[in-house]
Amino acid sequence: MDFLALYVTLKLALITTVLLMVIAAPVAYALAYYRFAGKSFLEALIYLPMALPPTVIGFYLIIIMGPKGFVGKTWEMLTGGSLLFTFIGITVASIIYSIPFAVQPMKAAFAKIDRRLLESAYVLGLSRRAAFFRVIIPNSVNGIAAAAILVFLHSIGAFGVLLMVGGSIPGETKVASIAIYEAVEMMNYEVAGMIALSFIPISYAFLLLINKLNERTRI
Amino acid sequence: MSIAVSLKKKLKYFDLDISFSCAKKNMVVMIGPSGGGKTTIIRMLAGLEKPKEGKIVFGDEVWFDSLRHVNVPPQKRRLGYVFQDYTLFPHLNLYENATFAAVDKKEVDELFELFKIGHLKKRRPQMVSGGERQRCAICQALARHPRILLLDEPFSALDAITRRGLREELKSLKGRMSFPIIYVTHDITEALYLADELLPVVDGKIDNQWLQRMITREPSQEVALRAAREPRLTLVY
Amino acid sequence: MKKSNFKQVITKILLTVIGVAFFAGLSGQAFAEEKISVAVAANFISAFKDMAADFETKTKIKVEGTFSSTGNLYSQIINGAPYDLLLSADEERPAKLNKDGLADNPFIYARGQAILWSANKDFCKAKTWQDALKNEKVKKIAIANTQTAPYGAAAKKALEKVGMWDGLQTKLVNAQDIAQSFQYASTSAVDSGFCAMSATVSAEGKKGCFYLVSEAPEIIQSACILKRTTNRAAVQKFIEFLNSPAAKDIKVKYGYR
Repeated sequence: MDFLALYVTLKLALITTVLLMVIAAPVAYALAYYRFAGKSFLEALIYLPMALPPTVIGFYLIIIMGPKGFVGKTWEMLTGGSLLFTFIGITVASIIYSIPFAVQPMKAAFAKIDRRLLESAYVLGLSRRAAFFRVIIPNSVNGIAAAAILVFLHSIGAFGVLLMVGGSIPGETKVASIAIYEAVEMMNYEVAGMIALSFIPISYAFLLLINKLNERTRI
Repeated sequence: MSIAVSLKKKLKYFDLDISFSCAKKNMVVMIGPSGGGKTTIIRMLAGLEKPKEGKIVFGDEVWFDSLRHVNVPPQKRRLGYVFQDYTLFPHLNLYENATFAAVDKKEVDELFELFKIGHLKKRRPQMVSGGERQRCAICQALARHPRILLLDEPFSALDAITRRGLREELKSLKGRMSFPIIYVTHDITEALYLADELLPVVDGKIDNQWLQRMITREPSQEVALRAAREPRLTLVY
Repeated sequence: MKKSNFKQVITKILLTVIGVAFFAGLSGQAFAEEKISVAVAANFISAFKDMAADFETKTKIKVEGTFSSTGNLYSQIINGAPYDLLLSADEERPAKLNKDGLADNPFIYARGQAILWSANKDFCKAKTWQDALKNEKVKKIAIANTQTAPYGAAAKKALEKVGMWDGLQTKLVNAQDIAQSFQYASTSAVDSGFCAMSATVSAEGKKGCFYLVSEAPEIIQSACILKRTTNRAAVQKFIEFLNSPAAKDIKVKYGYR
């Protein structure tokens, strides 16, 4: 039973979810409320990771996060170390991999809010920023929660992307999905089975939670 | 403080071109057929829409001046606005709604008593009637100590009896307030009851002739039939 | 009336097409060329492709290769994958298959060498591969998973033998198989990687430089016919070919013995 790998998976999923919710919120806000030139192109770009096979994403990530790539070189300049094969590296990969799963539900939740509520808030003296936190967020909690859960579940399942850019370093980048794969390779079927089994209650619990949240909005 | 307005905007079916003013303590009622631009005018006053050309001056503050590119956002104009519906935040109860931008929370209690919704403080907007929601919306707007109050068909979605009651309360309220009030309605009787000044707006322009026609025309066959069917309502107020 | 007519016509066309395809398929089967399906360990890909091409020209028997890590191929086989022959990167798995009654007796088909490869030609300026690795500029080194890839295990033994295994732990990046190890090295994602000698023969491989890791034990690659096979005669012919001089030349070309 590889507890270390499970720990890395959960740590990765948690950090990815928190960071991604913060990153995706303004993007979802812009997409929900503004019209601007090139908007549909930007949206298609954001949803791209959903359409591409994970190994394709991983393939391009190695190139841009590697020592010859734009992102990798910048990182090296700023920190002196490489971005690939580190926990931070797989966090970046995980975020990119799950962006559409965060932006889409949040954008839908924001767009559902009646424009007049926001106008009422502005007239009552709230700045756009204050209105975002005091009106938009409280009225889209369910959508935001659903986005967070989706991102979390999607992250714990990441395999192809992390296989390409992770380097399977125990305690750092070897996540549970890779551990299962390697256990099978080593003919350690019991270990593989145990890790796999532990995914089920976690995923199931979160899916139940999503269902509950969806029910509440219908009232 | 009084407000002086002059606006021009190109709308879908007609061009809006209107100038008027409203002195403090006065209620100007904009009436006219639906789709005539009344709501657009109110929204421009509130800062929610931008006129193509024009000037809005409140007292000695310039809220909008197209020539000098001045456009004060709604947040800074400090006005009260009551929509026809949906002014209240569904995630807060009535009390929290009214105190949302209140200057003095204690006043809110008084306002609630005045508008007879004190007993509904803890209820959510979805759980009270339309009339009670609009009362709360008025409290919410007044609690902010607005310098001008805008109401866009606030009672149109309510039944005739409730409407009459609220109308009377508004009229008595007006007597006590010292800010200008601009009220939009398509109900002539309501307009005649409430207004200090009537502003008939038809297809984006002031049309005093329209009002004359409405009031003095020979009742058509249709109106006469209606009067026969609903005598009390046609003679309302 | 028009509508049902249209439907009838379409149905007739569809049935005809399906019928023709079916019969063509059937007859196709009868005239099908013989073919064998081989599971090939990742490191042997290039050598195998050359051999398959040569074999096909000589015997007209088609050879289909599936390339993956040895561990992956093994688990596919025990789960019933329909290969005729397994060319493994180790001795262990063919032996196990034989013991479990899934394969015939294994035989050695190639001996491989582990090397240390880098895309950066400056890397090989040091006298020995140990010295090259000790250079501070070397931040990351790729090694195939030492528990699942025989070449990785061999590289580990070499590092242990020269006493560098523990010291290099923080710099090692684990690749899933020898192919990924080479990929990391050739894209410069790592400064150098332990690969199979066969990698040096490829176009990509020629762009870099390498050291022979003599401290690493020879990787003995054995193969076995899977009992599931339906083309025993064809597979036998291929095995004969594997031992022929032509095949030996190909093996040498790719660094095997």
